[in-house]
Amino acid sequence: MLPTITVNDEKCKEPISCRKCLLICPTHVLGLGTDVGPQKFREIDPSHFIVRAVRFDKCSGCMDCVKVCPQNAIQLSFSGGDAR
Amino acid sequence: MCDWCEKYGDGYERWYFNPANYARRLYKIRKEEAEALGAEANPQAAGGMSVVGRDFLEARERGDMAEVERVKQQIESAMWLTHCGQVITLEEALKIVDIMYPISLITCTCRRSMEGLPDEENFTCMGMGAGMYKWERWPDTYRGGVHFLTPDEAKEVLAKLNKRGLVHSIYTFGTPYLAGLCNCDYPDCAAIRTVIDLGIKILWKGHYVAKIDPELCNGCASCVHRCQFRALSFVPSRNKAYIDQFQCFGCGLCATECDQEAITLVERASLPALANVW
Ligand code: SF4
Ligand code: SF4
Ligand code: SF4
Ligand code: SF4
Ligand code: SF4
Repeated sequence: MLPTITVNDEKCKEPISCRKCLLICPTHVLGLGTDVGPQKFREIDPSHFIVRAVRFDKCSGCMDCVKVCPQNAIQLSFSGGDAR
Repeated sequence: MCDWCEKYGDGYERWYFNPANYARRLYKIRKEEAEALGAEANPQAAGGMSVVGRDFLEARERGDMAEVERVKQQIESAMWLTHCGQVITLEEALKIVDIMYPISLITCTCRRSMEGLPDEENFTCMGMGAGMYKWERWPDTYRGGVHFLTPDEAKEVLAKLNKRGLVHSIYTFGTPYLAGLCNCDYPDCAAIRTVIDLGIKILWKGHYVAKIDPELCNGCASCVHRCQFRALSFVPSRNKAYIDQFQCFGCGLCATECDQEAITLVERASLPALANVW
């Protein structure tokens, strides 16, 4: 079963310095991306980094990422809804 | 012979020993579509270097093998033209350092993405060739800067990374131009996890296959943690390590850890059933 995992980017402001969810996930499901894509001649500002689920197939549903997030930014459910 | 050697070897023993594959134009006029790509959020940047989308995982989950196969082939044929890799041994990596220039140490994008590693802990990736001179063009690809290395320094770094247990592989950036000498592990390396978990061959097996000599193996098990490809396990009833040669990527990491010299690397081409297992 694949979970629905959503991250509220408004709440998760600087994931590159927090990264608590990335490190706690037992199966490395989550990753960082950016909301701007590659940019020529300029480094991407940390505020443009976002957390997204990558390895949905490896998520056990343990909820460790949800619990560890200081901003309450992650929602995860196995029923397609926003249950928490 | 592997497809790459056949196409791009030009008489050299391996395609990655052919110096021509390290030569490239510094700048070229890009196609319009490629240029446009830089402008918007792309799936790779917006999701942990993922080469597949959720639809692929969903198709797999519902057992739609035709769709899985279609997407797999689509990704492979695109990646083989642009960005794909092959596992090499430490010896081969050291030899490559002597035939190309410049070589530099850069931060690893895969681990930045999956671990959020700060730059100072993340210098495990090597970039090679003319492309290194235009790092300013894509500062984010080279976050943390570019450290140019002498061949001796590069060899030292490679030996250290090998000791740490990282797999060496060589990558194209616009095939057959080789510009990446990567040092990777499962599961944070996008290439390793994509080939191991999803069976999408963007990283090819190397030219060797590891083999254990049961006479020499004393059962110490110190090789077992070295394998990043799920090829190496341990058989308690025999008290020996075990290598699934059909799964082995020929990286040689297990062999460099065995002080009994019980593990040797055999030429893939010498084994009829494995000669074409890439
Ligand atoms: S629920 Fe558990 S396994 Fe799933 S992403 Fe969160 S930490 Fe990882
Ligand atoms: S733990 Fe929460 S705030 Fe921290 S990086 Fe993850 S989603 Fe963002
Ligand atoms: S292929 Fe390996 S070294 Fe290169 S960026 Fe990915 S994990 Fe890092
Ligand atoms: S390190 Fe060598 S001796 Fe020890 S288990 Fe592995 S193959 Fe056997
Ligand atoms: S068995 Fe040894 S050579 Fe083969 S992939 Fe594993 S570590 Fe590498």
